[in-house]
Amino acid sequence: MTFQYLLDACLNVLSPANFLMLAAAVLAGLIMGMLPGLSATMAIALLTGLTYNVGDHQTAIIALLGVYVGAISGGCQSAILLNIPGTPASAATALDGFPMARQGNGGLAIFIATTASCLGTILSVIFVLTLTPLLTSFALKFASWEFFFLSIFGILICGTLTARGNALKGWISGICGLLTAQIGLDTVDTFARFSYGNVNMMSGIQLIPVMIGLFGFPEIVKAFKSGSEAKVLQLTSFNILKGFRIVRDNIVGVVRSAFIGVGVGIIPGVGEDVGGWLSYWAMKASGRNTDGFGKGDPRGIVAAETGNNACVGGAIIPVLSLAVPGSAPAAVLMAAFFMHNYRPGPLLMTESPEFLYNVAVYLVFASVLMWLIALGMARVTVRVLTVNKKLLMPVVFLLCVVGAYLINYNLFDVKVMFFFGLIGLAMSYMNVPAAPFILGVVLGSMADSNLRRALRLSDGSFLPLFERPISVAFLIVCVLMILSQTGLLAWLRGKVKRER
Amino acid sequence: MKRTLALLSLAVSFACPAWSADWPNRNINLTVPYGAGGTTDLTARSIASGMSKVLGATINVVNTPGAGGSAGSLNVQNAKLDGYSLLANGLLAFTTMPLNGYTEKTFRDWDIWIATYAPNGIIVPANSPYNTITDLINAIKAKPGQITAGTAGIGSGGHFGAEVIKAVAGADYKHITYQGGGPAVTATLSGEVDFCPQLLAEYKDLIISGKVKGLASLSESDIELAPGKVLPSILKSFPDAKKYLPMGEVTGIMIPKGLPEDILKKIDAAFESAVKEKEFLDFAAVRSFTVMPKGRAESQAFLETFAGRAAYILYDAGAVTVDPAKYGFKRP
Repeated sequence: MTFQYLLDACLNVLSPANFLMLAAAVLAGLIMGMLPGLSATMAIALLTGLTYNVGDHQTAIIALLGVYVGAISGGCQSAILLNIPGTPASAATALDGFPMARQGNGGLAIFIATTASCLGTILSVIFVLTLTPLLTSFALKFASWEFFFLSIFGILICGTLTARGNALKGWISGICGLLTAQIGLDTVDTFARFSYGNVNMMSGIQLIPVMIGLFGFPEIVKAFKSGSEAKVLQLTSFNILKGFRIVRDNIVGVVRSAFIGVGVGIIPGVGEDVGGWLSYWAMKASGRNTDGFGKGDPRGIVAAETGNNACVGGAIIPVLSLAVPGSAPAAVLMAAFFMHNYRPGPLLMTESPEFLYNVAVYLVFASVLMWLIALGMARVTVRVLTVNKKLLMPVVFLLCVVGAYLINYNLFDVKVMFFFGLIGLAMSYMNVPAAPFILGVVLGSMADSNLRRALRLSDGSFLPLFERPISVAFLIVCVLMILSQTGLLAWLRGKVKRER
Repeated sequence: MKRTLALLSLAVSFACPAWSADWPNRNINLTVPYGAGGTTDLTARSIASGMSKVLGATINVVNTPGAGGSAGSLNVQNAKLDGYSLLANGLLAFTTMPLNGYTEKTFRDWDIWIATYAPNGIIVPANSPYNTITDLINAIKAKPGQITAGTAGIGSGGHFGAEVIKAVAGADYKHITYQGGGPAVTATLSGEVDFCPQLLAEYKDLIISGKVKGLASLSESDIELAPGKVLPSILKSFPDAKKYLPMGEVTGIMIPKGLPEDILKKIDAAFESAVKEKEFLDFAAVRSFTVMPKGRAESQAFLETFAGRAAYILYDAGAVTVDPAKYGFKRP
């Protein structure tokens, strides 16, 4: 029966109309992913509206999944070429991708990123097909305490996300991001914090304008600094075999990142961006010779891109089994499923059992097509590196402004972008990394609201935190991270040795 | 200034009758102040596709999320009143908008067509000790302020539902708020909260499949979820709850008052036909929405009680500071 469903789905997607639709959707997704401001969530939302009148629901589902995979994967190209992540999901890719491009290896970096993206999605589909029931129960193990510690853990890894190895600067940046996320109506009591009666401030600081500002502005200004390198980069051609070899050599990292990505994807409320960051951190923490991270180590790209794409499958798992979306794009996707007369959730396997297999097969086809199309596009996009920056950056600047505006059609977001652009500029002069700031904004309200919710549930007692295995494990890891990053761990070890 | 503009456009509209006679001669924008794919959005799109058939004009659905739906609503309120920009909104948020201080205008300043009603449903985790709504209400009475309710936040559909439970029990619950309905439902599935009073449509399938227990709906009649699976109305056990019912989200389309009557008549006709379309009815059935079409006059009458109830629930919970009496809202 399973085989029959898979075969049917393959035939479905291979029909000329559907295949063309998938290719078009993947291409559209890639382009939207590349443009700063247009995130995967928006791409799917836009397409949801457009597919409303598409008669064949399968065609619509194919298009939606195509645009999802495309948008999550497309962001890496602008991250690598311009150091401006196209979507928050590929922010971690910029850390090593951009240095690689500056060394003239932009093509190779995009190849690795795209291949890793493709593998990430395909691996996550395997999880969808085999482990959906098991992983669903894992998702339900996450309650307020676990969410709180997950976000604290995320902030703590900020210390290691910095290229220059200065953990303190990473933490400062991360905590600033955390504080930025506190602006607006708080999610527990709907109290307006730091908003001074301004309606726009009340609805909170959006992640994307902050990201565009922090990453984009310094790049734009640097291009016009007097004495900045006027020379244009020479592209070194790269060997595809070399790209494959890098991916193959890191296959353990790919699988690990896929596990992390799927896990993060399943947990409701945390999505592709966190998946990329955690995978990157895990790659760095477990690797040897990690000095090159942040300076153009291809392993960083492999981890970040596998991790964020693996979230796609992960986020769809709870949609299919419980009708609870695992990430923001998956939430819009779920709404689109409903619109096309599917009822994802516990009744799915009895009402339309073929749907799970359809989604899985479409995702695999989407990611393979994405790989082909993205690499084809990269032949054109890498030429961006050969353009004189003084000519290129005004265009990028325009894209940044438009991108910030498009999120809510609100000029306030453009102002936010400018404001954080200036902060980003200051940070870049002081060598404070911007990446942890973004992570802080992503995790800030999660840390805040979950701690307060957990304490309200327990009437202010911290005891329940020790009764939950996952949260205790998180607590131990967090304590170890603080000790090791501040050098206390080494000091303790030394002390124990001396006493012996 | 706005009033002058409105009057001016009104004067213009009377001055040139030909203008309203050939309405609509271009695309109409229907603003949904939430994201694409949400409940309001899907309802709006479903109605829009039916209405455009009658009107012979394309209706573009425009999603403008932000500020809990107020941003999009204010856009329509401030737009040129020419019949080409309509709003679709949930009326819990829409009628309580003036209490947030976003605007001085109330629902009485709008022409409103109500389409659907989605009731609240009370659910508990599958392993909960409570098997009936009476069990739950008794537990709240026995332990005031200790039984936890997971909702999508203050002013959300779930909050309104929880306040009804509080009124019936005569004792408070402990309000645990989440960032949206999804996380609140997840918390119920994992047993983090004792009950969840969100809209029934959000977890209909979870009740049918037995992943959660459905105790009651806050509609006036029982609801058949699936053949043989009926969710009883809370009235079955607590007839006194009558004055708080029906509780749930009511969705409709609206436009600021002041359009010439012949355009409004055309919208009337298009709306009446749209809510009878098979596709719309099917959509409502899957979601367990009650289709309860109400014309302009009927909607105003319905909203007088509905808005008063919603406004005072928010006010009493301390979620808004503007006294509903300022706008003539009546306490239920």
